[in-house]
Amino acid sequence: MTIIDQKAFWHEILESVKVSVSPAIFSTWFTQTYLIGLEEINDRFSVQVGCNSSYVKTTIENRYFGLVQDSLSKSLGKSCDIAFIVKQNPESTLKEGVKPIPLFETNKDEETLSSFIKAKIKPGFNFANYAVSTSNQMAWAAAEAVAQNPGNAYNPLFVWGGVGVGKTHLMNAIGHAILDKNVDAKIYFCSGEEFTNDIVEGIRNKTTQSFRNKYRKLDCLFIDDIQFIAGKDAVQEEFFHTFNAVTGDGGQVVLTSDRPPSEIAKLEERLRSRFEAGLIVDISQPDFELRCAIIQIKTKERGIDLSMDTVQLIAANIDSARKIEGFIIKLITEAKLKNLEVTQELVQSLLGKGVEETGKGVRANPNEVVSAVAKYFSVGKKALLGQSRARPIALPRQILMYLLRTQLQLPLEEVGRVVGGRDHTTVMHAVAKISQILTSDVQIRQDILGIKNSL
Amino acid sequence: MKLQVLQENLAKALLNASRFANQRAQLPVLGNIKLSTKKTKLQIASTNLEVSISISVGAQIEKEGEITIPAKVITELVSNLMPGTINIEAEKEQLKISSSGFSSTVSGMNTSDFPSIPQSIDAKTSIVLPKKEFLDALAQVSFATSVDESRPILTGVLFIFQKDTLILVATDGFRLSQKKIKIANLPKLDQVVLPRSPLGELSRLSEEAEEILFNLKKTDNQITFGINDTILSSRILEGEYPNFEKIIPKESTIKVEVDKDELLRAVKLASVFARDSANIVKLNINKGSVDVSAESSNAGNQKTKIDAKVTGEKFEIDYNYRFLEDFLHIVKGETVSMEFSSPTAPGVFGDPSDTNLLHLIMPVRIQS
Repeated sequence: MTIIDQKAFWHEILESVKVSVSPAIFSTWFTQTYLIGLEEINDRFSVQVGCNSSYVKTTIENRYFGLVQDSLSKSLGKSCDIAFIVKQNPESTLKEGVKPIPLFETNKDEETLSSFIKAKIKPGFNFANYAVSTSNQMAWAAAEAVAQNPGNAYNPLFVWGGVGVGKTHLMNAIGHAILDKNVDAKIYFCSGEEFTNDIVEGIRNKTTQSFRNKYRKLDCLFIDDIQFIAGKDAVQEEFFHTFNAVTGDGGQVVLTSDRPPSEIAKLEERLRSRFEAGLIVDISQPDFELRCAIIQIKTKERGIDLSMDTVQLIAANIDSARKIEGFIIKLITEAKLKNLEVTQELVQSLLGKGVEETGKGVRANPNEVVSAVAKYFSVGKKALLGQSRARPIALPRQILMYLLRTQLQLPLEEVGRVVGGRDHTTVMHAVAKISQILTSDVQIRQDILGIKNSL
Repeated sequence: MKLQVLQENLAKALLNASRFANQRAQLPVLGNIKLSTKKTKLQIASTNLEVSISISVGAQIEKEGEITIPAKVITELVSNLMPGTINIEAEKEQLKISSSGFSSTVSGMNTSDFPSIPQSIDAKTSIVLPKKEFLDALAQVSFATSVDESRPILTGVLFIFQKDTLILVATDGFRLSQKKIKIANLPKLDQVVLPRSPLGELSRLSEEAEEILFNLKKTDNQITFGINDTILSSRILEGEYPNFEKIIPKESTIKVEVDKDELLRAVKLASVFARDSANIVKLNINKGSVDVSAESSNAGNQKTKIDAKVTGEKFEIDYNYRFLEDFLHIVKGETVSMEFSSPTAPGVFGDPSDTNLLHLIMPVRIQS
């Protein structure tokens, strides 16, 4: 029964009770009742009735029990058990908290913000804007558990994965959640490098004690990119003691790294074994669905609304979260500067210009790409660059053009020249077509990924 | 029902009970006081459905029985009788009262519609509160409860039971008062919020008592106090009490200690003008002194300088003089301490002779 049904139902019961009692009795006792729950068990109903005070409860129980039971049984058509419970009607207390009261509401945001700053937690990174998919579900669940129950769930929590998969976001989100619950929690977020610098400074200024006070008394220590301390003996030793001090007092330690502890070279054995004692989770590169979700979150944060088609178009063509962020910034800037609307065409034209401006992506010469594509699709190089427009040839050729254009950033004309002296408009068409297909066709996405990996 | 009872005892009990009867209730029986016999006691009970009271008075019972009588009528009758023995006899729905040279018949009602209210307290499961300390603490806290019904939870006093310490807290959102009292062997209980009105009655009802029994029934949402022969019950306020610990400032940059009476006088002087201007008084904290000033655009202005022990920088803060006055009235020691950190953060007020008392007042923020 929904809440509205329940209210109407109870009203109906009360109306029938009203007939049998005096108005004064009705308004004194029965108006202070409400229905909490109604459950059918076997062939009986169990009814829970809430009363505002125990005086109401005892009076109705003693004097009007039969009356209420009769009405209920008649209305429900089955016999019923009634339990009276003293509980205030939630609706009457709903109006609570309508207006802020100065002593409690003031500076709450400021306070949390300052606690974020103190802990060096980035307030923008929280669980609410962390998108979860199969690639990071495990890590997310572990992080949630740690945030709910710091120090007990998994200690230490070791998150590892490639660049831009969301390790730091997850770590910040844990800190965010802990601070949300308790502004006064002593937590600190730093990178492995900062930790190192702090020790070095401590040694130089003879203030190792203050360094120890800073780290060892924490409720929660977050160290990003812990692999940086590998190979630094003094730092590792200090970290070892810090780690023991924090976990020994029931504190939580969360670490991230770009590889699992077993693969961090020059890491002391005692540290490695400690890392391995907690939970080690990895985050892999975001899959297509996750990228879509990330794009939606990021564009929403920046106050633009993309259609699902556009979102998929971007997700299909860009494969890491950081690049997505970069692309969105570029998209917004482009739209603002040229006073354009964000349309699929605009997205497509930006994608066509090549995403990886840093040149970090594939570094191969065009010929290697041609051979990779030919090999992947098992078509002859000659056929691929030839004149045939049969589908088994034409599609790989278009993929080749797409790769040459987006991954190697060759000019359109150059792409055309490489692919058997084709016109630049043919190349444009191919790039547009493939980026479009990518949004809907999983097979082609995998093909492209496979070719990229083989390069 | 037939019995004899002493006028002194009955009159006092009726006077107390009549405060809880509600003359204007829709249900007439709620405007009545219930009289019933129990062994050698006459029990006098009344309720307004928020709070209920039951008082036992020693009596000579000849015949058992019970009846309800309009509170006003019986209270006025009995309190005007001469001290001495009164005969009371109930027959059907009428009560006959007689003493030497006086007789009266009062129409009452039968007790079937009268709600059942707690008439005894289980001493075993109750907490024994030392009366004086408890009532003193209550007086230092309960004035800070809110009168605004839109936030019902703040109209009550929060009771927190900690090992050996009972903490009472009240706040109306502008100020907060907290007092701790040491009580040995306090059982572990959930915190509860009790309405202010029955707590206020406690001091009136417990003039002769040494101890107050405190019994919490979470399932019934009911709290019962036992004061000698009087049982006072009230419902518990439901809702979540705001997290007050979070707003107590942990550190402060300015610490001031001043003579209480001097400050009270200064605040009263300032209030003359402050009344015209939103009750605002200004505290100017300088080296070794505090200036209390107020001004009104129509009436004029004033400034009082009082000597103070000050640590910290020069500082200026605005307060509602009523809050300062309220606080100064509950301080028992000769000096008061004030700690501030910023003109927009609550100030921490205290009594250096009583570290169990903590008071926060939110400053007035003047939009400039």
